[in-house]
Amino acid sequence: MQNYFKTAKNISLVLFLALITLNVSAQEIDLLIKGGHVIDAKNKINGKMDVAVKDGKILRVAADIPASSAKKTINVNGLYVTPGFLDIHGHVFHGTEPDNYLSNSQDALPPDGFTFRAGVTTVADAGGAGWKNIDLFRKNVVDKSKTRVLAFMNIVGGGMRGVETFEQDKTDMDPKLTAASAKKNKDIVIGIKIAHYIGHDWDPTDFAVAAGKIAGIPVMVDFGKALPPLPLEDLLLKHLRPGDILTHAYRYDQEFDKSGKMIEHKQAIVDVNTKKLKPYVWEARKRGVIFDVGHGGGSFNWSQAVPAMEQGFHPDVLSSDLHTGSMNAGFKDMANLASKFLVLGMPLADVVAASTWNPAKVIQRPELGHLSVGSEADIAVFRLREGDFGYIDASGMAIRGKQKLEAELTLRNGRVVWDLNALSAPLAK
Amino acid sequence: MGSECIECTISKIKMNLNKFKQAGRSVIFAICLSVSAQISIGQEIDILLKNGHVIDAKNKISAKMDVAVSNGKIMKVAANIPVAGAKKVVDVSGMYVSPGLIDIHTHVFTGPNPGFGHGSSSVKADDFTFRAGITTVVDAGTSGYKTFPVFKEQIIDRSRTRVLAYLNAFAPGMVGTAAEQEDMQALEIEKADATIKKYADHIVGVKIGHYSGKDWKPFDAAASLAHANNRPLFVECHITEFSLEDQLNHMKAGDILTHSYENVSERMPIVDDNGIVRPFVLDARKKGILFDVGHGGVGFWFNQAVPSVKQGLSPDTFGTDMHHNSVNSGMKDMLNLMSKYLNMGMQAEDIIQRASWGSASAIKRADLGNLSEGAVADIAVINVLEGKFGFLDAGGFKLEGDKKFQAEMTIRAGRIVWDLNGISGVPWSKDLK
Repeated sequence: MQNYFKTAKNISLVLFLALITLNVSAQEIDLLIKGGHVIDAKNKINGKMDVAVKDGKILRVAADIPASSAKKTINVNGLYVTPGFLDIHGHVFHGTEPDNYLSNSQDALPPDGFTFRAGVTTVADAGGAGWKNIDLFRKNVVDKSKTRVLAFMNIVGGGMRGVETFEQDKTDMDPKLTAASAKKNKDIVIGIKIAHYIGHDWDPTDFAVAAGKIAGIPVMVDFGKALPPLPLEDLLLKHLRPGDILTHAYRYDQEFDKSGKMIEHKQAIVDVNTKKLKPYVWEARKRGVIFDVGHGGGSFNWSQAVPAMEQGFHPDVLSSDLHTGSMNAGFKDMANLASKFLVLGMPLADVVAASTWNPAKVIQRPELGHLSVGSEADIAVFRLREGDFGYIDASGMAIRGKQKLEAELTLRNGRVVWDLNALSAPLAK
Repeated sequence: MGSECIECTISKIKMNLNKFKQAGRSVIFAICLSVSAQISIGQEIDILLKNGHVIDAKNKISAKMDVAVSNGKIMKVAANIPVAGAKKVVDVSGMYVSPGLIDIHTHVFTGPNPGFGHGSSSVKADDFTFRAGITTVVDAGTSGYKTFPVFKEQIIDRSRTRVLAYLNAFAPGMVGTAAEQEDMQALEIEKADATIKKYADHIVGVKIGHYSGKDWKPFDAAASLAHANNRPLFVECHITEFSLEDQLNHMKAGDILTHSYENVSERMPIVDDNGIVRPFVLDARKKGILFDVGHGGVGFWFNQAVPSVKQGLSPDTFGTDMHHNSVNSGMKDMLNLMSKYLNMGMQAEDIIQRASWGSASAIKRADLGNLSEGAVADIAVINVLEGKFGFLDAGGFKLEGDKKFQAEMTIRAGRIVWDLNGISGVPWSKDLK
């Protein structure tokens, strides 16, 4: 750590001198990202285009925008240019409250170290905060992050602060208070979360949906365990509305009793014996229920994902379930997760759509996830590396692949916030 | 074996219940069951790293060797250890196998305050370590004696990375603005000394930072405090009233200068206007003063580093100065920083040695940074990628290169804590559930 102010002054002086020596006339573009392959699902662009940025916004997306019209040009030949990724299932309500799990505590992560380096510019915290601590979340996380931070608010008033205790307390699940707080904080709250409920009843799910109805926002369900398990079919076809989200879509829980017999406390989308996607899952998709990855430390299994993908059941949304237990495990970061779906045969354009425009629609933020003229210049530039790579799932099993996405450059609000190989920099003298 | 496996499962369940969310238990249990089904009695190697190029400077090894890990410790380093009897064998052909790397300059005292100390400018200790081959970090004075107990309880005790620290000579540590830190009247040497002695396993030095006063008393007091405890003084200050030469003269052999390759107005750069490393800097190295990178957001410039390396002033250690701002800047992570020096002409082996045994020696922790039999099994498996890469410095300038370090696998106390490409994973097949 050093004295930033003095140094910043020096740097700005250098930049200023550099600027006045350039010909600034007729250079209406602040930054031109030139020669890349643009994928913008909303605007149905999938081809070689240049992207011009001015005043933090997209000025133009077109073929062959002349470099002479730009103050700065970054050549991204051979790379893919996409809207900044949205990750709608992160856990970023970090803090120091002891034993408070993902709510102002140590298992959650400060977002900026995991977003920009993976091409992510927006992250939604998935239920770390409830109506009782959404203000603290705003103050400690939203306001202090360079990443755009949004939130699914937990139906539990105190937030996601302990699976076996607080998150089972139905007396702290108040749809009206939750919805009122969501409306009051609608600049950051984009949904309601229900997670980890272990009881054999639907009350918490229905409370969350009730709050979602009042506030006019979707519900994300991390389907809890129950013995016997609650029918997934009922969740998807009866309790959730179109537009609500099942996260951890490709999870296969394997828990065993003392004799080694598997306990089924949660139902998966693929029948592992027949390896077929259950028919009601297709029906749920037709109804408009959203299927989100939510990889996490223990929520993505090849035994679900491979057959589902082979049968054409692609995720609507890719998301991380980022926390201390997933960051160094099979998940790693959103670019790694996107690479897994490439390896599973999902076309790159679809992977990008499921990380940009799809999640933006799901969270009802149509201003995000695209490169339309006038939208905020949140941009990711990826390299598609070819080689021999490996990917592990939640059970430690590996699949080899020939491709890997790597975030080369990330812009947030028109500013370069990640530049892996110094593409935007001049050579040192 | 079966009962051990259950025990390990139970303890891991406790440890990971929250971290792995609900599925953690079932996953670990499943792994445990599958492992127990494959092993038989009498096997003692937990992990065998096969065919890597082992770099272990303490033991003067730089050769193709296998590394066997058992019970969290290094069991054996030798050529051709038989795979029979190993619970897990990982082929690391073509990769370097190093003692876990040590980052001797980070800021990991996270918390709700603005700024560094217990604050939002620090980063979490585990976020950028294992993925860069690091198993030990040294927090650079983010806490002082008044805040160290909180640092110990909230960070050291709760991180999977080994977290050590230089105690800030300034009692509250890094709090508030830089100006507040300059109030060196707040030195309370006796209390700081007692803290060092009480936490001798975790405090490896004394830091003096952000002091720019008009006399040497605080600096010298901090140095005496460090030396009386047989620990280095870690120097991160710009004493604008005095020259760099004076500053180096107030340091002793074993003391560490960080931000060595910075180029800012507050401190004389080590390279003069003609691109020559100042003679007194080279003299200081001869005297035994150590030069740490301390990259940070503004602490590393190619116009300093490139001539320095050419003229023999390579860094002794590759401290990152990791914090909220540097992590997405030119620094990125310690391997990126080491890769810069790889492309400036230093040899890969030399760099890895400095980042492991060299760094352990700098903080006088001979128990770390080596693969001696019985040592804690902190291991980094490092690849050197070939391709076209670019590296950024604090001035916004680029160095192009054709090599880059990458952490393939990291082991902390015998457990695999990072596996980039799943080389330790069981290959998945459709017959598996």
